[in-house]
Amino acid sequence: MRPFNPWFILEVISDLLPYLPVTIFMILGSVFFGSLLGFVLARAKVMGRRIPKLLADCYIATLRCTPPIVLLFIVYYGLPELLMSTIGVNINNVNKIIFVLVTFTLLFGATMSEVMRTAYESIDKGQQEAALSIGLSPYQAFYRIMLPQSVAVALPNFGNALINLMKDGSLAFTVGLIDMMGQGTLIISRNFGSYALETYIALAIIYWSLTILIEKSFGVLEMHLSKGKKSVAE
Amino acid sequence: MELNLDYLIKTFFLAITGIPTTLEITIVALLVATPISFFMAIYKIYNVKIIKQIITAYVSVIRGTPIVLQILIVYSLLPSLFNMAVKSMGWNWDVFSMNPIIYAYIVFSLNTIAGLSEVFRSALLTVNTGQLEAAHAIGMTTVQAYTRIVIPQALVVAMPNICNLTVNLIKGTSLAFMMTVKEITSIAKIEASFGYNYIESYIDIFLIYIIVCSITQLLFSLVEKHFRSYKSITKAS
Amino acid sequence: MLEINNIHKAFHKNEVLKGVSIKVNKGDVVVILGPSGSGKTTLLRCINFLERADRGEIIFDNLRVDINTASSQDISRIRKRTAFVFQNYNLFNNKTALENVTEGLIVARKVPKFEAIEIAKRALNKVGMSDRIDYYPSKLSGGQQQRVSIARAIAVNPDVVLFDEPTSALDPELIGEVLGIMKQLASEGTAMVVVTHEMSFAQDVANHIVFMDDGVIVEEGHPKDVFSKPREERTKRFLSRILPYSDYDI
Repeated sequence: MRPFNPWFILEVISDLLPYLPVTIFMILGSVFFGSLLGFVLARAKVMGRRIPKLLADCYIATLRCTPPIVLLFIVYYGLPELLMSTIGVNINNVNKIIFVLVTFTLLFGATMSEVMRTAYESIDKGQQEAALSIGLSPYQAFYRIMLPQSVAVALPNFGNALINLMKDGSLAFTVGLIDMMGQGTLIISRNFGSYALETYIALAIIYWSLTILIEKSFGVLEMHLSKGKKSVAE
Repeated sequence: MELNLDYLIKTFFLAITGIPTTLEITIVALLVATPISFFMAIYKIYNVKIIKQIITAYVSVIRGTPIVLQILIVYSLLPSLFNMAVKSMGWNWDVFSMNPIIYAYIVFSLNTIAGLSEVFRSALLTVNTGQLEAAHAIGMTTVQAYTRIVIPQALVVAMPNICNLTVNLIKGTSLAFMMTVKEITSIAKIEASFGYNYIESYIDIFLIYIIVCSITQLLFSLVEKHFRSYKSITKAS
Repeated sequence: MLEINNIHKAFHKNEVLKGVSIKVNKGDVVVILGPSGSGKTTLLRCINFLERADRGEIIFDNLRVDINTASSQDISRIRKRTAFVFQNYNLFNNKTALENVTEGLIVARKVPKFEAIEIAKRALNKVGMSDRIDYYPSKLSGGQQQRVSIARAIAVNPDVVLFDEPTSALDPELIGEVLGIMKQLASEGTAMVVVTHEMSFAQDVANHIVFMDDGVIVEEGHPKDVFSKPREERTKRFLSRILPYSDYDI
């Protein structure tokens, strides 16, 4: 077997880290747009009007069954065609990251809508009734009473969704995006395939570290937010 | 946007032949993982220190890294590793002609073990310790208590999570094509490269996964209903 | 002051209120009694539109609202003149006791913050919770939470306070403190409509008893009359079950 060089792992990590911002940008973009989408979907399901709810249900069910790589390819090959034939816009030369953002916005939106919806529904409706009974408008009751409490409940699930997004996002290199994974495959081909294992291990270490970072940060956030609450076991 | 309908339909039926492979990987992973995960869950709860740390580290690494990396690592490590092992034992066997699905079994089993152990652990935690105490009090052994009382109750709670995990596993197998496994995605991709009908191929793959996952979810909800039947009867009014 | 006329409410096919009318004058303490399922809580919740009745009319001095055509402004106006005390308190979990009381003032009635805090402190003082105004509900006992919720209700200076079984969720030893505050409010002339099972309150504090059963008002009158000389069979039966020392010819 060809030699395994553990030191190469450290070397390669420093070659990969400069591309971390690409990964982060991709994640933050997807979180932002995905959360907006998720809010719209969650609202459709909660409000209960038939057609919006049906559309939201179908969308979420469909995306739940879609492997990320499949969606990525559909967007990558399909979006330019679609835009070309409907509104005549040629996006074939646009930065690959757009396709990645679209894909993961669609995916994250589906996950987030469920996170938001279950968090909102877990808050005792009595809170809302009390708010209405002292004269708050439904809008005020939502933003001042229901939403803050929902956020606290949603936080752990949001953290999980974020980690999953980051892991799914690692597939972006398959459409040619040069993020950390993309750079990794370039490094491997530069070395004629000889240090593949070391490179992959380096990438795994980076991703693992990021996951732990996110988990710890959310742990701190959750503790901070429960300053006024008793734990579940009361 | 023009879709080649003929091609769409033809490739659809061609890609369907990949479903058995997908299901094979899924089922093997689940079968292998279930007993192992179950014991991992129990060990974690019973607090045997060293084992607990190893298990925690294992779960953390597997769940903290993208599955595509796990696939790439296994695929770049194992073949040469096996080759070395085979050569050193003097066997005359060409490792590289082995069916790549074995690697898929390995990767997805390792992955499922980690995820499933978390599902089992949290499900077991939701069962009141009083149940176990009551079982002991009427003379059951611990094994009996677990198999007759604790596990059935934990299973009900675990079902939705197991369903989720299975659906994610099925979606995960879509990456097995990277190991040259002939499952749904790879078959359609290969077809696509003949005539550059990428969009139609991926739409086919998309539809097939929706069908497979929906059926899976349906089956799980039926199983869940069956397990649930003991729960609501006691609602007094 | 407040008239509720001919309220009908059905949940799916189940008619819970079959044409109920109530009058509340200034300073009245109306207690609604009745077996479970009689519709008393539903009636209370229809008054401030926590439930939307199917038919009927609510008249608040010169504000006349028909249930079917009620706009959200009408509903808002009614809610600004009433206050509701819930069986399980429903204090805002993400706000301190003080913030719970100021919320309605600052947000719904646009009272300036420092003024709202003054009003809130006075209300909390009245219910005996001055030493815990910065506590979150999770750190308060049931009785304390209910007292804060009463403070929240009276701080907005409503025309009438609606109480939905305010002591039913409390441990027995905490019931007294809440009833005491309600008695005090009554003696100060606050108009109250109370759904309760606490007979002592009904006998001592109320000046009007309404007995409901199966969605209709069976009998109503002054406590002296209803408790000592009930006219209807159903009233007698209910009272003899509830009051240990009663003696009615059924």
